[in-house]
Amino acid sequence: MASDTVTDVPARTSRLRSMPRGTVTMLVVPPVIVASVFLVYVVWRQTATLDSIEESQLAWPTVWKLLGEHVRLTVVSALAVVAIAVPAGVLLTRGRARIAAPLVVAVANTGQAAPSIGLIALLAMWRGYGFWTGVIALTLYGLLPVLRNTITGLQGVDPTLKEAGRGLGMSATGVLLRVELPLAGPVIMAGVRTSLVLVVGTAALATFIDAGGLGAIITTGISLLKVSLMVWGAVLIALLALLVEWLGRLLELFTRPKGV
Amino acid sequence: MWQFVDDRSDQIVYNTLQHANLVVQAVLFAALVGVALAVVVVWVPRLETLANAVSAIGLTIPAFALVGLLLPLLGIGAFTAFWAVAFYAVFPVLRNAVVGLRGVDPTLLESARGMGMGPVAVLLRVRLPLAWPVIHAGLRVSMQMSMGVAAIAAYVNGPGLGGYIFTGITQIGGANAVNYAVVGTVGVVVVALLADLLLLLLGRLTVSKGIRA
Amino acid sequence: MTTDQPEVSGAEIALENVTKRYPGQKAAAVDGLTLTIPAGEIVMFVGPSGCGKTTSLKMINRLIEPSSGTIRIGGQDVRQQGENELRRQVGYVIQGGSLFPHMTVAKNIALVPKLLGWDADRIEQRVVDLLDLVGLDPAKYRGRYPRELSGGQQQRVGVARGLAADPPVILMDEPFGAVDPITRQRLQDELLSIQRELRKTIVCVTHDIDEAIKLGDRILILREGAEVAQYDTPENVLAAPADDFVSDFVGSGSTLKQLSLARVSSIELADRPTAWVGESTGEVVARAEAEGHDAVVVLDDRGRPLGWPWLRQLRGHDRVPSYDAEKLNTLDSRATLNDALDTMLTSSHGAAVVTGDRDQYLGVISFEAVTDHMRQLEREAAAHGE
Repeated sequence: MASDTVTDVPARTSRLRSMPRGTVTMLVVPPVIVASVFLVYVVWRQTATLDSIEESQLAWPTVWKLLGEHVRLTVVSALAVVAIAVPAGVLLTRGRARIAAPLVVAVANTGQAAPSIGLIALLAMWRGYGFWTGVIALTLYGLLPVLRNTITGLQGVDPTLKEAGRGLGMSATGVLLRVELPLAGPVIMAGVRTSLVLVVGTAALATFIDAGGLGAIITTGISLLKVSLMVWGAVLIALLALLVEWLGRLLELFTRPKGV
Repeated sequence: MWQFVDDRSDQIVYNTLQHANLVVQAVLFAALVGVALAVVVVWVPRLETLANAVSAIGLTIPAFALVGLLLPLLGIGAFTAFWAVAFYAVFPVLRNAVVGLRGVDPTLLESARGMGMGPVAVLLRVRLPLAWPVIHAGLRVSMQMSMGVAAIAAYVNGPGLGGYIFTGITQIGGANAVNYAVVGTVGVVVVALLADLLLLLLGRLTVSKGIRA
Repeated sequence: MTTDQPEVSGAEIALENVTKRYPGQKAAAVDGLTLTIPAGEIVMFVGPSGCGKTTSLKMINRLIEPSSGTIRIGGQDVRQQGENELRRQVGYVIQGGSLFPHMTVAKNIALVPKLLGWDADRIEQRVVDLLDLVGLDPAKYRGRYPRELSGGQQQRVGVARGLAADPPVILMDEPFGAVDPITRQRLQDELLSIQRELRKTIVCVTHDIDEAIKLGDRILILREGAEVAQYDTPENVLAAPADDFVSDFVGSGSTLKQLSLARVSSIELADRPTAWVGESTGEVVARAEAEGHDAVVVLDDRGRPLGWPWLRQLRGHDRVPSYDAEKLNTLDSRATLNDALDTMLTSSHGAAVVTGDRDQYLGVISFEAVTDHMRQLEREAAAHGE
């Protein structure tokens, strides 16, 4: 008995360590990093002597405006991604459409091999510059993770649970809404988080087609060879991306059904 | 379009090779670093949380932001492009290598030790071959991701096909803008698919038949 | 069958006051174990879970280092050589075979000889010999991967791998724990038959007292802290348990337990008509009917039983067909009567085919023969009691 308990000890501590600690780390560390680096930026911004270009590019109203554009691009595209990819994923796991699922995923995979900047450029040539072109490009780019995870998530639901649902007299839609989607939820949300990260990062390229966003600070920095602009533009984008990733994690946590 | 390609075929081929060259070198380098780091992480389990956090955060930093950060340090050109690509390529390999190496059945490891294999032999003959399919999958992700990163790095004069895309953007409305963008984009897709095909082939050749899915 | 004892190739193992303490733990996992394992014998370590039997085993090949005490193999302190050199000279077989899934059967077996730097031809020959020894056709199985084998086959390869470098000592940790009862019994029989040829020193941990009684020349029964409760032959353990702990543990005293002790070889086997693969069925059927039997045992060209068809099944063929030996549950002559009854239950003949060395056909054991033997045991026990 005594040695039984002892062999158990390392197992128990490692379980404590691996699973929850990793999750906790990823929920605590990123916001701390974001907050402290942003603080450094604020202090630098208030104390450094800036030349006129820096002054105008990093003026608070400008930064807020670019940030707002960046967030708008991200949010609108992410919503569009979810609105398209989740229903598409559901359709591709129903009835006869099921056989098309691997094909669609393969095509989407190939599409993902296209460089984001190329996609943005081509769309701009076809649809002209501007916010909505940016949204279309980002939406296209963000589709795959959600689509793929919706399909795998739904396919991963234990078929006996679906049958049990039908057995209780639920309609097919009832089973989908009350059994399948909640159970596939965590997988789908993981896809949404991946998409969010892709979209917020790619939105930095939107400036090339006048769709706005924080990328403008970097491009100005590069074309005028202003190191401060390159660095702080990059830092601000990175902070936003980390924040968005963190929000994705929170979303994942709160949409997880209890008991799963 | 064909005329455009035909006129510049030498140059396009050159840039395609440059693109492939940049990505392959950076990914190869990243793979070595990723696997080496993973071996350390597996030996010192305390580092795993750190490694996962660093991977997640690293992958979150947008490529364009990284290019902006590296530029002041490394200057314009291939050097920045290489490090930007290699930076991202490390994480999928690292993440998968940790998962793969840790996933090896502990009884197999004990069995190997019980047969008289030293730690290096256990790593090289048991752990790595068994983790290889997972590492290989990470390698494919790295490779695909890197193709796009390399295209973005062309904005700071990195080598490869991305340059065509940026030329297309600056000449927008001009006669050849679309041609440039199409050549750049399609070129990258083709290189990416070819590279993936080669990696798949490598997988067929190197993953033991006994553990192939 | 044969009585000439082959030479002992095993080495004596001596444990002297061996203790293992884990940090942060009050009681020692193994507390001052002293034990001599004679060369060429099978010693079974049994005891309740957590009694320290596996720890004791793993200290022999230094997978676990003792906190104090000495372990000698063939007189030599195991700490005198590097742990890896030591382990290459001590076979190690664990549950399920623990084969490396990315290596073929041949590569798995060849591992230790390779580590020892044998030349390729010698390794090649060794692999073939060993596969043959454990009853797997080398041509068919050497190139296979573990996942292409059944559980029992994997375990056989595991045993072959443990034997590969011809080590004097073999350690086994619950070797047959992961297979179904019928396969387990077969594997046990095979191990006994291999041991008859090789006479290694085998130390085997099990939680199954029946397995210990069947396989062991001696049984070591351990209490918590690897305290020796009794260390004796199976016969003595059953006949004279040292204390209540032992008698509770082995459940001794019942005649049924004696079934695990008595071997098939102690009962006279019945003769049954046999037939070779390819023989004309007409003659075979005539021969069998003349002897008053309605079934024949089919043997391959090396005298190994393949199947046990009824005559009516044979009549459909011109020549005696070959059967898949995997489907015939045979008994080794060293199997226990307990095993014999198990095997008969799965047979439609109410009897079982018995084999000897290298799966040679010996005869048939019938249900009546076993029950007669039991009645006789009961009578003897009653006579003792009076």
